[in-house]
Amino acid sequence: MKYYARKTISFVVSLFVITAITFGALQILPGDPALLVLGTEGDPMAVEILREKLGLDDPPLTRYFKWISGVFKGDFGESIRYSTPVSVLLKNAIPVTLSLAFFSVLLAVLIAIPLGITCAVKKGSAWDSFGLIFSQLGMAMPPFWLGILLINFFAVKLGLFPPGGFVSVTTTGVGPFLSSLFLPALALSLPRAAILARMVRASILQTLDQDYIRTARSKGLPHYLVLYKHALRNASVNIFTVAGIQLTQLLAGTIVIEQVFSLPGLGQLLLNGVLQRDLPLVQGLVVVGAGLILFSNLIFDSILGVIDPRIRLD
Amino acid sequence: MKTNRVIIIALVVLLVAGGAYYLFQGKNVDNSRVINIAIETDPDSFDPNQSVAAATVEIAFNIYEGLVKATADGNVVGALATHWEVDETETVYTFYLREAIFHNGQPLTVEDVVNALERVRDPQIAQGKADEYQVIESITPLDENTIQIKLSQPYGPFLFNLADFAASIYPKDATGLDANPIGTGPYKFEEWRANQYVKLVRFDDHWSGEQPHFEEVYFKIIPEMASAVISLKAGHVDLIPRLDPSFHHQVVDEEDLKVIPGPMNLVQIIALNNSRPPFNDPRVRQALALAIDKQEVITGAAWGLGDPLYSAISPAMATFFNEELAEVNAYDPERAKALLEEAGYSNLSFTFELPAPYPLHVNAGEIVAQQWAKIGVDVEIRIVEWGTWLERIYSQRDYDATIVGLAGRMDPHLILVRYQTNSSRNFFNFKNERYDELIAQGLVTSGEERIAIYHEAQEILAKEVAGVFVMDPNQLAVMQKDIQGWLNYPIYVVDVAKLSR
Repeated sequence: MKYYARKTISFVVSLFVITAITFGALQILPGDPALLVLGTEGDPMAVEILREKLGLDDPPLTRYFKWISGVFKGDFGESIRYSTPVSVLLKNAIPVTLSLAFFSVLLAVLIAIPLGITCAVKKGSAWDSFGLIFSQLGMAMPPFWLGILLINFFAVKLGLFPPGGFVSVTTTGVGPFLSSLFLPALALSLPRAAILARMVRASILQTLDQDYIRTARSKGLPHYLVLYKHALRNASVNIFTVAGIQLTQLLAGTIVIEQVFSLPGLGQLLLNGVLQRDLPLVQGLVVVGAGLILFSNLIFDSILGVIDPRIRLD
Repeated sequence: MKTNRVIIIALVVLLVAGGAYYLFQGKNVDNSRVINIAIETDPDSFDPNQSVAAATVEIAFNIYEGLVKATADGNVVGALATHWEVDETETVYTFYLREAIFHNGQPLTVEDVVNALERVRDPQIAQGKADEYQVIESITPLDENTIQIKLSQPYGPFLFNLADFAASIYPKDATGLDANPIGTGPYKFEEWRANQYVKLVRFDDHWSGEQPHFEEVYFKIIPEMASAVISLKAGHVDLIPRLDPSFHHQVVDEEDLKVIPGPMNLVQIIALNNSRPPFNDPRVRQALALAIDKQEVITGAAWGLGDPLYSAISPAMATFFNEELAEVNAYDPERAKALLEEAGYSNLSFTFELPAPYPLHVNAGEIVAQQWAKIGVDVEIRIVEWGTWLERIYSQRDYDATIVGLAGRMDPHLILVRYQTNSSRNFFNFKNERYDELIAQGLVTSGEERIAIYHEAQEILAKEVAGVFVMDPNQLAVMQKDIQGWLNYPIYVVDVAKLSR
C-alpha cells in the first residue's frame, strides 16, 4: 500500500511540474492561437474579440489555475483547433495509441525471443550472423520508411492489409481492428525487436554458463525445457525491463507512424495541438500521457515481481 | 498448465469467430454508392460564423446553402432564393425564398434567414467575417417568403458575400452547429471523428428534388500525402481533391487513375516590406522583380504545374484577369543589376523568411534566393514556423521579405482590397493613392466599367511592385477513372452532389 501511496503522490507532483512546464513553453513560443485561427484573413479587431472569447486576455497564472482546477473536476476544456471538448478527443485517441503500443511491444517480444535464443544457442553459426544482420538493419531503418515499404508491399501489391486508417473493435470486430493495426505495429516493432533480440542473446548466453543450467541438463531435462523454462525465465527480467521502457516510449509518442498510417492517435492530436497553439488540448494530452506512462510502469513492475519474486514492490 | 491451454483455445476461437463475423456480415449500402475523399486536415468548426479553415468549407459546401451559391465558372445562382431583384440605386436587394426543408425536418422560414444574416454581421459573434457584411444596413422580411436587404452604398461583391460559407442559412433555434451542422444542402452531416473522417449521407428531401449518385460520403483525414496516394492506388480512396504536385509523377501514368488539373486561384506572392529601407525605393523592388525567372520557379517548386502571375488576380478569374501585364517587369537580370546600381544598392543584403510547413513556398523561396544571388543580392534565408509567421510577419509587419500564398475569392474586390493603404491585411505596407481611389470606385460601379477599374488596379500593383507575384499553382484533382463529374471551383470546394461513378 505504501508503495502505491508513494507513487500517487509522486504522480500528482510530477503532473503539476509537467503541466506548468508545458504551459510555460507554450507561453514563450511565439504564435498567437487567435491569429492562427484567423490566418491571413485576420484583422486586429477580429483577433481582439477572439482572444477575449478564448480567454487569452487573462494573465497566464489565472489561466493556468483555471485550467488545473477544471481538470480536478474532470473538465479539460474545449479544444481551439477542433471546437470539441478535449475529453472527447482524448477518449477517441487513447484506445488507438494504447492498442498500437501494446501490439508493437507484443510483436517485438514475439520476434525477439525465438530469434535471440536461436542466436545464443547456435552462437557463431550462420543463424547467429543472420540474427546480427537483422538487428543491425532493424536498428538502422527509420520506422516511417519501413512503414511506407510495408504499405507498398502488403497493402498495395498484395492487398492483404488496409494502407492506413483505424477501425475500432467495437464497430467492426476484432479482425479488421487487428489488420488495421498490424502494419504500423510491425513497422514500430522491428527496430525494437532488433534491440530486444540482442538483449535476449546476451542474457541467455550469460545464463547458459551457470551451475543450475548444468544441473538441469544433468538431471536429464529435454533441451527445449532447459532453454525455455530455466534459462529464459532468468533472462526474462532483463527482457521485460527493456520491453517496459520501449512501451513507455511508444505511449509517449508515435507521431510519425501515426502520420504515415493516418491513425487518429494521441500523436496526431499533439502535433496539431502544438502547431495551432491549442493550449487546452496540449495540456490534456500531457496529463493523459503522464498517466499512461505511470500506469504502464506499474504494470511492468508487477510483471517483474511475478517473474522474479526477489523483486518486491515494497 | 491446463488453465493456460483453455485460455489460449478460447482466444483462438474468439479470433476466428471475429474474423468470420467480419467476412460474412451483410453490408447495408451498395459500395458503388459510397465515395471516399482524402483530405489533409480536420475541419475547424462547422459553425458558419466561426469557421475559417479551407478544409471546412470544402465539406460544408455540401451541407449548407445560402440565399445564393457559387458556381464552378465563378458566378452565383439562386439557392435558397429562387430569384432576386436589385433596385436602380443598387442598394436595395429583394430576395424571394424557396420552399425548402432543413436536415432536421423543419421548414425554412424568413426568420431563419434574418437570424443567420444578422448574426454574421455582428462582429461579436462572427470574428473575422463580420467586416465583409458591415455594408448591410437593414434586413427586413416583407412577407412570408420575401426578404429585403438594404445596403449603405452600392457594393459589387455583395452577392458573392452571400454565397460565402459564412452567410449560410441554418435554423434560428439551432445550437452546437460547430459539431452538429444543420443546413439545407444535398448532404446531411452524420459524424465527425477527429483525425479519422467526416461522414455525410444523402439528404433525400433536398428542394431540387434531384438525387445525387452517392449515398454516403467519407471525407477521410489523411495528413500524409504519400499515404493518401497509396490509399488511392489501393482503391481505399476514390478522390484526392488537391494533390501535392510532387506526387504528380506517381499517379499520372496509372491506368486506373485520372488527373484533372485546373487553376487554384491562389496568389503566390513575394512580399517586400514596402515601408522599410531599401524596399521603400521602388527601383529596388523593381530590380528584385526583374531578377526572377517565374517559369524556373514553377518548374522547380511546382513541377511545372502552375501559371505565372503578373499581378494579384489569377487567370482563374477570367473576367477580371489583366493579361497585358506579362511584359511588365519580365525577367531581365541585366536591367535588374543596373537598377540596383542606380539606386545605390549594389551590395544589397536582407533576410528572406519562408513559412513552414509549406513546401511550395519554401522551395519557391529557395529558388528565388538563388536567382537574386545572380544579380549580386545577398539573401539570408530563414525558415519560420507558421504560428510565428502570422504573429511577427503578418500581424506586426516586422520583416524584410517573405513569400506566401493568398487564397482566392469569388470577387476581385475581396482579393484586391488588402493592398489598400489602410487595410489591416496590407502587411506589404503598400501605399498608392490612385490605387485606393480605384478600389473605392470598383465597389460602386458595375459591368465593363468595373472591369476596366480592376484592370488598372492590377497594373498599378504590377508596375509599382507591391510585391512580386509569382504563380498560381495548379489544383490537381486525382481520382479513380470511373469517377465522373468533377468540377473545379475558383474556391476550395468539393461538389459531391455532381459526382457519380
